[in-house]
Amino acid sequence: MPLSPLSAAIKKQSPGFGLGLRPVHYPDFLAQPQAVDWLEIISENYMVPGGKPLVMLDAILERYPVAMHGVSLSIGSTDGLDAVYLADLKALANHVQPMWVSDHLCWTGVQGRNAHDLLPLPYSEEALRLVVRHVNQVQDALGRRILLENVSSYLNYRSSEMSEWEFLRQVAEQADCLLLLDVNNIYVSGINHGFDPVEFLDHLPVDRVQQIHLAGHSDHGDYIVDTHDHPVAEPVWDLYRYTCARFGDVATMIERDDDIPALSVLIAELDRARAIAAETPGSGLQEVREAAL
Amino acid sequence: MTSPALTDLQVAFHDHLLNLPSAISQEVSEGGRIGVDHRLHIYHNAYRARLLENLQDAYEKTWAYLGDETFESSALAFIEDNPPKHRNLRWHGAEFPQWLEKRFLEDLDIAELALIDWQLRLAFDGPDASPVQPAELAGLAAEDWASVGFQFAPTLFIAPIRFNSVAIWHALDQEQAPPAAESLPAPTWLLIWRKGWQPHFRTIQMVEHAALMQLQGGASFAQVCADLGEQFSDQEAASVAADSLRTWLQDEMIVGLTGMSA
Repeated sequence: MPLSPLSAAIKKQSPGFGLGLRPVHYPDFLAQPQAVDWLEIISENYMVPGGKPLVMLDAILERYPVAMHGVSLSIGSTDGLDAVYLADLKALANHVQPMWVSDHLCWTGVQGRNAHDLLPLPYSEEALRLVVRHVNQVQDALGRRILLENVSSYLNYRSSEMSEWEFLRQVAEQADCLLLLDVNNIYVSGINHGFDPVEFLDHLPVDRVQQIHLAGHSDHGDYIVDTHDHPVAEPVWDLYRYTCARFGDVATMIERDDDIPALSVLIAELDRARAIAAETPGSGLQEVREAAL
Repeated sequence: MTSPALTDLQVAFHDHLLNLPSAISQEVSEGGRIGVDHRLHIYHNAYRARLLENLQDAYEKTWAYLGDETFESSALAFIEDNPPKHRNLRWHGAEFPQWLEKRFLEDLDIAELALIDWQLRLAFDGPDASPVQPAELAGLAAEDWASVGFQFAPTLFIAPIRFNSVAIWHALDQEQAPPAAESLPAPTWLLIWRKGWQPHFRTIQMVEHAALMQLQGGASFAQVCADLGEQFSDQEAASVAADSLRTWLQDEMIVGLTGMSA
């Protein structure tokens, strides 16, 4: 299915503030309405034949708008796309009818081997051509624009020819896809590579940012690891404030994958995101920059 | 279109993760607060940590049985021997029970316990099927009883076991000290399937196993009853057949009827 030509309406209106759905919170979401506007599911958790995960998913779909977030597309692998995985993803998307489908701008394996990690690409013309070609294939297969997320990274390659933000912008514009900005990942990579997160954000196209991720990390002193096992850190909240000022009203959610607290704790954290977004409704960029950073 | 330079880089990176000879460090930029080797080590470490965590999740009771240290050393050795090839992480570890069997040749109860862990996980999100209700069978015409056979739940798994691994599993599940491993006195099979949303398991003996094998092979229930009649008195055979059928229905193991007239 051909995608509609690039237009101002490329991005959907923000559904508000969401959380990553984790099985431990199924009972909370099904027992009563929660102060969460939407949920993000990990696609692979529901690419299973049957049983409780799919029953829970259907119950959730009756109650919340859902976005699909995958970890295994491996859009940057020179192996090419996995046709079986793509077919399974499409079948799940047909069932879920999600607000959107996202994965990561990375590669996860090569030569049929899988590292199950979000490995960094060199920011080169060669990698750009490969990713753009793959995004086009995925978008043709799914019949929708996908979102690609910036990953946290711990190394850069000598073969990189541009900055990460330039690479991200080029992918989005050349492939006509959307972006999922992980603000924590920008902060983590900024520390690990010594770049200015604000410069990263300033170079991304506002009309392509459909979703924002917030998450916690582990600070090892000389470097930071994106672990999703802590609350969102203060410097990341500051960066989120700036992100809100630059990108305006964007669907925002918190990811938590380890040491998962009670849902009420995550909702309280989400309320902080709501409050920050409400204070900075896409204006006063300079003031926010000077005050927060 | 091929990407030779990018392919070479990705292969070198992945080889590094797998401890294979690799020149990836020459491809990584220097600079910043940590060195190239440290940067590569973060990925090397994360690869194993993620796969270990996945195995701990899939083999929860085996982990509890072996203890942290032995489970971790075994899992890490398994990871070195079995780099993931599946797109979905959940399938990494499918061969762990067989691998444990070779590692702990003198303690085969460990591999059996791992098999229970893995098959319970498979049953948890295996294919759905609606169970046959007792009323459906009760309403069968007499001529259909002569030919009816059963289709079993798609999650049903049957395998022989030699040790008291089921008792060990239950003790670990209740966070109690597991009993000492011992051989079972009679031939025994493990039965795992999903009832409703919940995986179930129990052990069966030779007579029930033979009946299930016959039925899974396409035999009619009448044929199974006739064969039981060769081993037992008519009264005993009828009782064994009726008890088995009642249990299979209550356990939601039967999901279809076959061999009936149109």
